[in-house]
Amino acid sequence: MWENFSEAIYLNFIKDDRWKYYTDGLKVTLTITLFAVLLGVAIGLVVGIIRATHERTHKLKIMNFLCGIYLTVIRGTPVVVQLMIIYYIILASARNKIPVAILAFGINSGAYVAEIFRSGIMSIDNGQMEAGRSLGFNYIQTMWYVVLPQAFKNVLPALCNEFIALLKETSVSGYIALQDLTKAGDIVRSRTFNPFFPLFTVAAIYLICVIVLTQCIKLLERRLRQSEH
Amino acid sequence: MSIDAEKPLIQVKGLGKAFGQVRVLKDINVDIRKGDVVFVVGPSGSGKSTFLRCLNRLEEPTEGKIFFEGVDILDRKTNIDEHRQKMGMVFQTFNLFPHMTILKNLTIAPMKLQHKSREEAEKTAMELLARVGLADRADAYPNQLSGGQKQRIAIVRALCMKPDVMLFDEPTSALDPEMVGEVLGVMRELAREKMTMVVVTHEMGFAREIATRVMFMEGGNFVEEAPPEEFFGNPKNERLKNFLSKVL
Repeated sequence: MWENFSEAIYLNFIKDDRWKYYTDGLKVTLTITLFAVLLGVAIGLVVGIIRATHERTHKLKIMNFLCGIYLTVIRGTPVVVQLMIIYYIILASARNKIPVAILAFGINSGAYVAEIFRSGIMSIDNGQMEAGRSLGFNYIQTMWYVVLPQAFKNVLPALCNEFIALLKETSVSGYIALQDLTKAGDIVRSRTFNPFFPLFTVAAIYLICVIVLTQCIKLLERRLRQSEH
Repeated sequence: MSIDAEKPLIQVKGLGKAFGQVRVLKDINVDIRKGDVVFVVGPSGSGKSTFLRCLNRLEEPTEGKIFFEGVDILDRKTNIDEHRQKMGMVFQTFNLFPHMTILKNLTIAPMKLQHKSREEAEKTAMELLARVGLADRADAYPNQLSGGQKQRIAIVRALCMKPDVMLFDEPTSALDPEMVGEVLGVMRELAREKMTMVVVTHEMGFAREIATRVMFMEGGNFVEEAPPEEFFGNPKNERLKNFLSKVL
């Protein structure tokens, strides 16, 4: 049995440097996730602020309407379909697939992050906004210095969930022939004709990434909770 | 900008405010002069707080004009944020920023809005903190303070901007009785230094003590205004008499 095991290790990782599929795939997965998170947070912040502002003040009607359409369309269709629409139709001439994937996953994540930020902003008492405004800060400054830092702290667990979901969602990148972590497992499986090791290897790597991410956010949460002694 | 001694600091003309069909304030005309300590009293729901919040446009008036230091602050072209820097406001619920230390609460506006250096802003903040007896709490967070301490900090936060007028919106209404005194003490000190103040409150004894003028609001307008001795000693309006008989 040990012979079979070491044979399997050899076939799955050592032979032809097959371990490189996993490390390269992981690099692609992490690159897409990292930049998609940044894009998603940027989009989500803007859309979330617009939605919350509309809810509180009934201003920004047109912008709020457009944001509503964005949320409906993005949350109403599967991410893999969005990814393929962007790759095969909207950016059909794109050479480099990674930016395409970042764009697709970022736009997708932005919709979910927007709703997280909106609820976070709405959870902050309006007295905070009034106090900021009464000192002479304008609306955006008060948002930035007073409301958002508090809202961010409240929504950190929800954001963490979204990041974890996003990391795992990038596993459909293979649909546009990107060699991400999942695709790497596929390739090795097609060489060894044995699904066991590649699939469990891929699953284990995702799991480790998620655990590390969760721990990092826990640390951040603890730091941000300083003011609540 | 030098202000004409004759000219009121705040001039309210024909001020009205309606929430939908409900008219909360009706044709209010008031002058507030430099050094005035104006107390606004009246039954709940009479529009006292709305009036105060209209003065710095936290509430948008629906009619009339408000001149602050000669500028029409309801004019669309007026940048209200600039003028708010000169109008300190203290809220019933303190509204300190819970994610900042006390010192940060006090220095963020002077640093970001008046471009003071950190040293300068902190020096002013520490001086004012010492005067309200809270210098040792500079590094604490708001949640670590009692209500009375929070409200004193809130007053200092407004003072750090060196305002020309202070607006108080029921500053002691959310406090436990034993903490009211410490907040009133700070306000008494301010009045003594000739800070212009507009105070909405239910503290009649305090109004009698430090006000230069007391105004009685009822049904969205001021129905009587007088110096405190006259206001409390010899009220003329029937509704005011009725009100005072209930609260004194």
